[in-house]
Amino acid sequence: MPEHAIVTQALTKNFGHFTAVDALNVSVAKGELFGLLGPNGAGKTTTVRMLCTLIEPTLGTANIVGYDIREQAAEVRRQIGVVSEGVSLYKDLSIEENLKLLSTLYEIPRPKAEVRIRELMDMFAFREKSGRLVGALSSGWAKKAMICAALLHSPQVLFLDEVTSGLDPQSAIGLQDFTKKQCEQGVTVIWTTHYMGEPEKICDRIGIMFAGRLVQVGTPDELKHSVSELSVVEVETPGLSQGQLEKLKARLKEMRQVYRVKYVDPKLEVSCERTDTLAEEVASTLLGIGARIRAINTKDPTLEETFIALTGGEEEIDRFLESGGQKA
Amino acid sequence: MSIKIFLSDSIAVAENEFRQFRRNRSAILISLVVLPFFFTAALGAGQGGAGSTYSPTARIPIAWVDNDNSLASVRLWQTLATSPDFRNLVEGYTEQGALAQLGTKRIYAVIVVPKGFQNDLESGNQARILLYTDDSEPGMSDQIESTLTSYTQNFDPNVEVQPYLSQLQRQSVAGVGIVTKGATFAGFNIGLTTVLAIVQIFAGFYEIAGGMSREREEGTYARLLVSPVPIGSIMLGKTLFDILLSVIRTFTVLGLSVYGYGARPNTDILTLLALSLIIALVTMGIGFVVAALKMGQRAVVIIEFFLILFLFAFSGLIIDSNLLVGVSQVISYLLPFTYAFDALKRTVLLGRPLLSLTYDLEYMIGSIIASYVIAFVLLHFSRERLIR
Repeated sequence: MPEHAIVTQALTKNFGHFTAVDALNVSVAKGELFGLLGPNGAGKTTTVRMLCTLIEPTLGTANIVGYDIREQAAEVRRQIGVVSEGVSLYKDLSIEENLKLLSTLYEIPRPKAEVRIRELMDMFAFREKSGRLVGALSSGWAKKAMICAALLHSPQVLFLDEVTSGLDPQSAIGLQDFTKKQCEQGVTVIWTTHYMGEPEKICDRIGIMFAGRLVQVGTPDELKHSVSELSVVEVETPGLSQGQLEKLKARLKEMRQVYRVKYVDPKLEVSCERTDTLAEEVASTLLGIGARIRAINTKDPTLEETFIALTGGEEEIDRFLESGGQKA
Repeated sequence: MSIKIFLSDSIAVAENEFRQFRRNRSAILISLVVLPFFFTAALGAGQGGAGSTYSPTARIPIAWVDNDNSLASVRLWQTLATSPDFRNLVEGYTEQGALAQLGTKRIYAVIVVPKGFQNDLESGNQARILLYTDDSEPGMSDQIESTLTSYTQNFDPNVEVQPYLSQLQRQSVAGVGIVTKGATFAGFNIGLTTVLAIVQIFAGFYEIAGGMSREREEGTYARLLVSPVPIGSIMLGKTLFDILLSVIRTFTVLGLSVYGYGARPNTDILTLLALSLIIALVTMGIGFVVAALKMGQRAVVIIEFFLILFLFAFSGLIIDSNLLVGVSQVISYLLPFTYAFDALKRTVLLGRPLLSLTYDLEYMIGSIIASYVIAFVLLHFSRERLIR
């Protein structure tokens, strides 16, 4: 059994002249919960699709529990479970019928399949809904049904692609806890998301993707500390007008590189290149433009702030998103 | 992968198709009720029902050349021209002129009354008339000869029909000689051939191409692709299910045509079923190729529209493919549906055994194999729509 559940080597996917994933090199250990974090269009889903053998890499390759995705695609498919927006169950079938179909396709012997289906139905409290058509389920239950389907054949690697989008917070937390338990049982999980808060809470390691590249990999703490030149101040300044905010941004930019200025009345957050005098500079600028200050303090960067700094700042991300996923 | 697993996967896919179909009332209604009933009823109403006369020779343009110009030859002409079987006797040609028209598709046969016809009859000798046919339509020469003989025998037992086949038979392309050429057939027989083919093509194409494109759009095709099921099993499973629907449609059309509109096919039910399923498979093959091109459902509907347009224009459904010229005829000869219509007409109208239509069968089966192989290769090498 290989030490790593997933190993990619210069994994690349081009769509014409557009490079969706650019020479991705990453290793994920068995039983690890690995987060792939990035904005829409960063290449997360394309990476997952290549690893799931849905699309062929242009260059490079990857191994899933020792099987090459190019040469042993059928074996790879037996080892993986996928929950992704583009991978659905049949809406005109009940959850039980969907699972029975999949159990045949995964060659699970019928008695064993029946036991496993009952087990999953109980695990997700699906018993009462087992006969209901998937199309009639709420989005939360439909997502649970997809997770049931992905777990049916007890895969060694589970891909959860934007799995919490559309879920209520309670269901999302429940799903996060469930995923952690799966990892404790030895399942390797790739959790892709563009919600910055999620991977920080649950993932063992996180890979930050931007414009098809893996910018940084590490534990949440390692990532935050990797951006040693980042300073963040938080100011309570009520009633700041748009004009004042623009002036603040302009003056700060004259002094140093600003990664982000975020204002939700009354809280202002400024993150920029490291300096010991950021709090004083922000305070004096605010007072200079006629703003009131109730409180000011420096703080450790969050993963979101780290992500923004690592990807070149908020404006760079905005440009990337406006260009439809092509790095400026 | 063993054959057993391959087949078990295929059957699972077919069962899955059936379960979904069972729950989709509009699909059941359109595929199994509206389509077969609508087309049969529409053509039945248009082409008339039971009681129509049967005559494969009635409207075929046949030149009449009278070199005897006698009372006897004029009486023979009157006998034939007023009969229901020779409604399109064309006069005014010389013998050479009429023979020169054979093969031009203006004239398909020439009846020549030679000099001395009346004298022979009056002296009690055998009097010959000459029949030239282009025989571009296998079986048609025999039909004309036997019909003509029966009339001449009634006219005078001493009249003998002397048949001559033109060299043109060697120029005709085997397997694409749609049989109508102005012939009329019993009751709803022509309607039956048309409806059988159209219903299978209409339904079969959309069920495969439209069904696959819907699966792509809904993400269920991707669900199959991330499982170990091979592409071949997906194709076979969908084909098996569609064959079941095709059988039901065949019997619906056949039942309604025979009992509702008086069709009297000159062939047995197994031949009809086999041909109907071959047409369905040809259509499914094309459906898989279109599905492999990753088009959306809207595009599939547009392609189906053009497919039907091609059928009407080039497959001999309305215009005999022999009457087409230039590129149109080339397209006609390339379309597998041309051979399908031809085979249907030869069996249903002329009663030819299915296995005697080797060229038609070879072309259709070749098309099925080619389209399935192309679709398999396309689906295998580009497993999913390229999503950024």
